[in-house]
Amino acid sequence: MTSPALEMDSVSVRFGAETILQNMTLQVGRGERFVIVGPSGSGKTTLLRVIAGFVTPEGGEIMIAGLSATAVPPEKRDAVYMHQTPILFPHLTVLENVAFPLRVRRLSGGETRERVGAALDAMQMGRFENRMPRTLSGGQKHRVALARAIVARPSLLLLDEPFSALDPALRRDVRLALLAAHSQYEPGVVLVTHDFGDAAGIADRIGVLIEGELTQVASPAELFMRPASLAIARFLNIANEVHGHSDGGGTFCSTLGNFRTRDTIAAGPAIAVFSPAAVTIGLKGRTAARVIEVRTYPEHTTLMLGITGGRLEAACPAGSSFAAGDETTVDLDVDRLAVFPLPAGQRVE
Amino acid sequence: MNAMRSLPRLGLAALLVFATLLPLAFLVALSVSSDWFYPNLAPRRWTGANWDLLRRSGAVIFSSLRVSAALALATGAVSSISGLFAGRKIARLDGWRGRVAVACAFLPVAVPPLALSIGLQYSLLKMGLGGRFSGVLFAHVVPALGYTTLFFVGIFAVFDWLVEDEARSLGASPRDVIMRVTLPLLRRPLVEAFALGFLVSWAQVPLTLLIGQGLVRTLPLELMSYVSAGQDHLAATAGLVLTIPPLALLVVTALAVRRLGAVIA
Amino acid sequence: MSGGRRGASGLIVAIVVSSPVLAGIVYSILGALGVAGPGADGMSLRHFQVVLGDSATWRSILWTVWIALASTLAATILAMGAAAIFRAQQGVDRFARLVAIVPLAVPHVVAALCGVLILSQSGLLARLAFAASLQSSPADMPALTSDRYGIGLIIALVWKEFPFLALVAFALIAQRGVALEETARTLGAGALRTFRVATLPALWRGLLPAMIAVFTFVAGNYEVAVLLAPSSPLALPLLTMERYTDSSLAARGDAFVLVLLAIMVSLWGVIAHEWFASRVEVVE
Repeated sequence: MTSPALEMDSVSVRFGAETILQNMTLQVGRGERFVIVGPSGSGKTTLLRVIAGFVTPEGGEIMIAGLSATAVPPEKRDAVYMHQTPILFPHLTVLENVAFPLRVRRLSGGETRERVGAALDAMQMGRFENRMPRTLSGGQKHRVALARAIVARPSLLLLDEPFSALDPALRRDVRLALLAAHSQYEPGVVLVTHDFGDAAGIADRIGVLIEGELTQVASPAELFMRPASLAIARFLNIANEVHGHSDGGGTFCSTLGNFRTRDTIAAGPAIAVFSPAAVTIGLKGRTAARVIEVRTYPEHTTLMLGITGGRLEAACPAGSSFAAGDETTVDLDVDRLAVFPLPAGQRVE
Repeated sequence: MNAMRSLPRLGLAALLVFATLLPLAFLVALSVSSDWFYPNLAPRRWTGANWDLLRRSGAVIFSSLRVSAALALATGAVSSISGLFAGRKIARLDGWRGRVAVACAFLPVAVPPLALSIGLQYSLLKMGLGGRFSGVLFAHVVPALGYTTLFFVGIFAVFDWLVEDEARSLGASPRDVIMRVTLPLLRRPLVEAFALGFLVSWAQVPLTLLIGQGLVRTLPLELMSYVSAGQDHLAATAGLVLTIPPLALLVVTALAVRRLGAVIA
Repeated sequence: MSGGRRGASGLIVAIVVSSPVLAGIVYSILGALGVAGPGADGMSLRHFQVVLGDSATWRSILWTVWIALASTLAATILAMGAAAIFRAQQGVDRFARLVAIVPLAVPHVVAALCGVLILSQSGLLARLAFAASLQSSPADMPALTSDRYGIGLIIALVWKEFPFLALVAFALIAQRGVALEETARTLGAGALRTFRVATLPALWRGLLPAMIAVFTFVAGNYEVAVLLAPSSPLALPLLTMERYTDSSLAARGDAFVLVLLAIMVSLWGVIAHEWFASRVEVVE
């Protein structure tokens, strides 16, 4: 049985009086792509740096590929940490940059050459071997940095906000490069980002880090469908919120109708959160709705609907077209509804 | 692991501090003493007489201090204001004109003062400025203006022209814009440029020597005579006085920079 | 509203700022050609021939280059060492960095004074040696000031130029050094290799423009040479001054050739500085 790429057990980090990470416990399997999302300041970068070895934790255990890494310096850990912007050694060529981890491990010249070539080809940078870093574009630098990171086959790749500050085209480029790098030998990947959209595209599992705590770990679909708390749902920017109240017996009552909730929540004001995909538009729906606005995006169209007591965003059904002012009806898919008690002090808008 | 590394590091730090501050400490000791000769490691007498001379109007060191201060203050004033207007004009240039202009402004900074003095001496003598305060002042302003112009080119490169345009569209005349918007915004850089020009003149040697023809005696020149004459105590005093303004400026800058959270200090 | 009038006035201002220097250069050229100046005796290349043919000139140039090179390199190595060692944000390291830049404030002539006071044969060092029974008279002490190798001069220059280079080095380490070093370490490099591959190259490349500036400045500096340099071989500024104040008017014309030489060296220094500075990659 192969050990997981990463095991963290009760790791805490404090800077002075401030607790940055609390009792971090998580496992990342071999070949798994684990993405940590969270708002700025939640401790994501610190988490990566603790795993990489640049930050010393207060307590807890870290195991990388089955070997204890807790008191081991960064250079001896079987993990590579990649900064947000690719840091290439400016005085070395692309080839020498990528060869660096192998030279450090004293691999023979022949084998180094072979593995460097393979890594560069995998990243489609084979032609750039003799170039200097300053002549490369942003995307090319990312790819060289990835090639260099995987050439020594570390069990764990740690990526710190690789997509931040990139325009959409470059973002896609880097994502594809990352997937290509991963497919080379399937290391564990821990990637940190504040953008859920980026996360959903590559994650096997997502962990939501809020104020130093891992509040939920789930697959992207499940996270979106069943966020564990209102805070998480709001962080994920799930589009629709409908206020109502719970009767304490498992029913949520609102202007959209009464629904049986999955979990029983206490009686009182409550809020239902759901994505546009949970809304079905048709002629036989339970609730009347009027189209307020049609929003056209490159790949899809959404409708802003007005209902009694609020607004909904729904996906425009394929094949149909609507215009502002049209009357229609809507239904909600109960399974895709996440209902939470409304925190005290928050009023209906 | 950290504790083991800290002892040699402490030692090196001590060495650095010692090597850096020993010469200055020696100067201080010399300036408050007299009759300190080889091979003594301590002077025969501690005295404040050297520093007293700085206030005695008959003393050479006093008059040279006055001349140096006057020259430096005037240089600072002239070069900072001129540098502001020059830098402003030059910063607005684009393309080849901008590069040529900056290169021109660089010339007075790049050319060594000695070469500059020899090149300028004849013309200044012919204009009757040789051996005179005004001549030396002109000579000092030449490199100082280069420094301040370059300084302001840098400032204006990031200056928000929009603020000036805003004032214009609100009805301010060009003169109003300068007096009410630009100059107030540039108060701090002006002070810094003044300090820059001041220091260029304050520490100057070759220009004073050749243009002043030995008649305009500044503190650096006196210091050099003291050295040749073996008057170590007076030389040390003069040296310390020469060091005080730039040191004060360094401290002020370091404090200001630290408040902005910079990395070095 | 670009180019045109605004462009012209900006250029004019720039020329005005540089006009005294330009006038000085023109005058020096005329003087070197024998057309103007105290030793003017008709247009000829005689001054050039005399100066460039004189071995004293070349000895002076070589010696000056030796001094500038030695002091710049020594100061740079010390600066790199200081930046690599004293890199923590607080504590001893911060204090060391603060003290290191103090000589920035000391005028060059005062630094030279310190050199004389400490390194001369009756200076502080000699007295310490005497107290340690290492010598019994001033003559026992090897001459470090006004000596043939310029040792005292180099020491004084290193003391004065080290803070400037250290300041640049500190900034380099802080801005770029950390991320480069972490990258090297995470890829498996130990402390020594990290220094060699990540820290040192970054420092060196970043310091090169500053080194060129220091070299150029040192080569042209007069006051430090006057107090600490020997009369043979003569440093270039001293040789220039000697020729210029020579009683024979013909020699004065020679001085202009040396002045042009010094100006050329400075201009090349500026060009080299700009070239290297533009090659330094900005790591955001």
